[in-house]
Amino acid sequence: MRLAIDHRLTLTAPTGPFQSVFHLLLTPPGGPTQSVERWDIDMAGFETAGRFVDGFGNVAHLVNQPRSEDEVTIHVRGTVSTRDTHGVIGRPAGEPVPALYRRLTTATKAPPALVAKFRGTKESRVDVLHSLMARVGDMLGLPDETPAQTQMQADGGQSQSQTTEQKTLPAAADYAHLFIGAARALDIPARFVTGYRLNETNEPAVLHAWAEAFDDRLGWIGFDPQRQMCPTDAYVRLTVGLDAETATVLRTVPAAEPAQQLTVSRAE
Amino acid sequence: MGETTPFDEMYNPDGTVREPYRALSEWLAEQPDRGLALMQTDAEAIFRKLGITFAVYGSEEGTEKVIPFDVIPRIIAANEWRKLSKGIEQRVKALNAFLYDVYHRQEILKAGRIPEKLILNNAAFCPQMMGLEPARGVYAHIIGVDIVRVGVDEFYVLEDNLRTPSGVSYMLEDREAMMLLAPDLFQRSKVAPVENYPENLRRTLQSVAPEGAGSNPVIAVLTPGIYNSAYFEHSFLADQMGAALCEGHDIFVDGGKVYMRTTTGPERVDVIYRRIDDDYLDPLTFKPDSMLGVPGVFDAYRAGNVTLVNAPGTGIADDKAVYTYVPEIIEFYLGEKALLNNVPTYNCTDADQRAWVLDNIGDLVVKEVHGSGGYGMMVGPTSTKAQHAEFKKKILARPDNYIVQPTLALSTCPTHISGDVAPRHVDLRPYVLVGDEVRITPGGLTRVALKKGSLVVNSSQGGGTKDTWVLED
Repeated sequence: MRLAIDHRLTLTAPTGPFQSVFHLLLTPPGGPTQSVERWDIDMAGFETAGRFVDGFGNVAHLVNQPRSEDEVTIHVRGTVSTRDTHGVIGRPAGEPVPALYRRLTTATKAPPALVAKFRGTKESRVDVLHSLMARVGDMLGLPDETPAQTQMQADGGQSQSQTTEQKTLPAAADYAHLFIGAARALDIPARFVTGYRLNETNEPAVLHAWAEAFDDRLGWIGFDPQRQMCPTDAYVRLTVGLDAETATVLRTVPAAEPAQQLTVSRAE
Repeated sequence: MGETTPFDEMYNPDGTVREPYRALSEWLAEQPDRGLALMQTDAEAIFRKLGITFAVYGSEEGTEKVIPFDVIPRIIAANEWRKLSKGIEQRVKALNAFLYDVYHRQEILKAGRIPEKLILNNAAFCPQMMGLEPARGVYAHIIGVDIVRVGVDEFYVLEDNLRTPSGVSYMLEDREAMMLLAPDLFQRSKVAPVENYPENLRRTLQSVAPEGAGSNPVIAVLTPGIYNSAYFEHSFLADQMGAALCEGHDIFVDGGKVYMRTTTGPERVDVIYRRIDDDYLDPLTFKPDSMLGVPGVFDAYRAGNVTLVNAPGTGIADDKAVYTYVPEIIEFYLGEKALLNNVPTYNCTDADQRAWVLDNIGDLVVKEVHGSGGYGMMVGPTSTKAQHAEFKKKILARPDNYIVQPTLALSTCPTHISGDVAPRHVDLRPYVLVGDEVRITPGGLTRVALKKGSLVVNSSQGGGTKDTWVLED
């Protein structure tokens, strides 16, 4: 599938003494599940940005701007062609050792009850991970046909903010964190992924979050516990990290929370 | 481990003077009455004039103090030093190899030589450092190894300080003061110089500049500011090296490159000798509310446009829990046996060891895993029953937060105590520089516990310093 992505991040003028600094993780990697055909980031100061690879293998840009009174807009557009590999990513080059992703972080802690029944199991790791995904869904509840009334899910920040007449569900990041915490409790390397997801309903697109866990035979495999599925060709991977904080797509000094507008559609 | 009589560095058990101290002993005998006391008064005047002060955290009195200086030098023989410095060099090479490994392929963890969780779940491990290629493969460029002596040939390493060890300015100023106070004593002995430390520091820093820096890389010393306990040292070293002393707001990142603001406009910086802790270095990558650091400087480091000295994340190699594995680390990377001893360390997360520790706490030293500067520690034999009980409780509550070691009988050196000379316990912190080569300044900083019988030498806990002499053949 070919997906067209249009992602706009807007910050109200951050206040600071000299200049604003932006750390962007807004460049998707290539890999077995996706090839980036075209990708543009439009932002003042981007031409002279420092470009490097971070500790998790993400392509990062460091942009600085003189302090301005105006809104700052980062406009990201691109086309990515995707393949359905049933979630299997394998072992892309240039990534840190999988063992790194056994590190526990504050956000990735799972209750012991969630993992107890898998300790010492004879099941294969892939089967265990699928069962874990189902249990995380049971624990947090699942979106109905008209899913998740949440915004900014990948940052995990505003999960409960929208009050509707119906039940309020956790954000995608919460599902991913719980899944990752459970996998790590079983000594399985697991990492946080943010990215884009095509949904063909009318709900507004938001930056999505899911997890990947490591299998010695297959390498990295994606699991989306909020959607209860392995990622398909409707998914575009953008960043990976230990948790939402390390995988966050935009960090700024002075700190500011961006408003985001996103469309993901089938490319012509 | 001598738990009986401590080793006296000046006198043999039969009362005769040990060879390295012969000249000093004769000189001491020639001093007139009150000679040492006068010298001590002069020394204080010299230090006040030099303005060497340090801050004591948590003290209610004036925070700036002059560190007590003892006018009798501590002396190490040439052959003793050769052995020691070989052991130190071995250690810093192995620890740098270990740092490279844990931030790359983690072979030592795969081989099961160190428990994986001890590293990966350690607060001092810095995941953001993964895969980074530091210039010359060096992470810890400036190291202060804490060593104690317990016998003629018995040295123990207490701690490898690989973060931002301080105190080197005292080593330099102690020598300067000693040369003013007792020039005649220097004429009787061949003492290895320490004055070239700033020059060696500058060479070391320039040798790890990123590729693409010119032939004369620009160095900045990054300080948290005047309220830091070691501010004097930061400004002293910058001055001695001819480098700029900067606070966070003096430095900025533009286009992924690092600059400092100067009166003639921005100047590119190639190497930052930072005396700010990892957490505060860059609010973009570490603590977001830090005002001390430089936003984006870590990114510039990852982009290969600046070198940070020491690298962030070196703390994983001097973590007190990792310390017990240093002999293992030396064998794994160098295929050699450790030349310097580690102090045996009890692990309180092990139930048997913990039970033994709790029963014998009065004879042991308890240290917080992430503590330093003598804060958060307890020396069993010199503590009260109430303190023993308090630390027992602490260990039970958080066994992983403490390491426990036997109380070492630290060696003693002759020390001037109100007009007299009496033995006092000492330790030693040699300073090591690692860049294009390993440079170890002969001697280092000797800290002395001025209270009779005390084993705590930290300046924050009432310790003083001595000039440290390494004799040349």
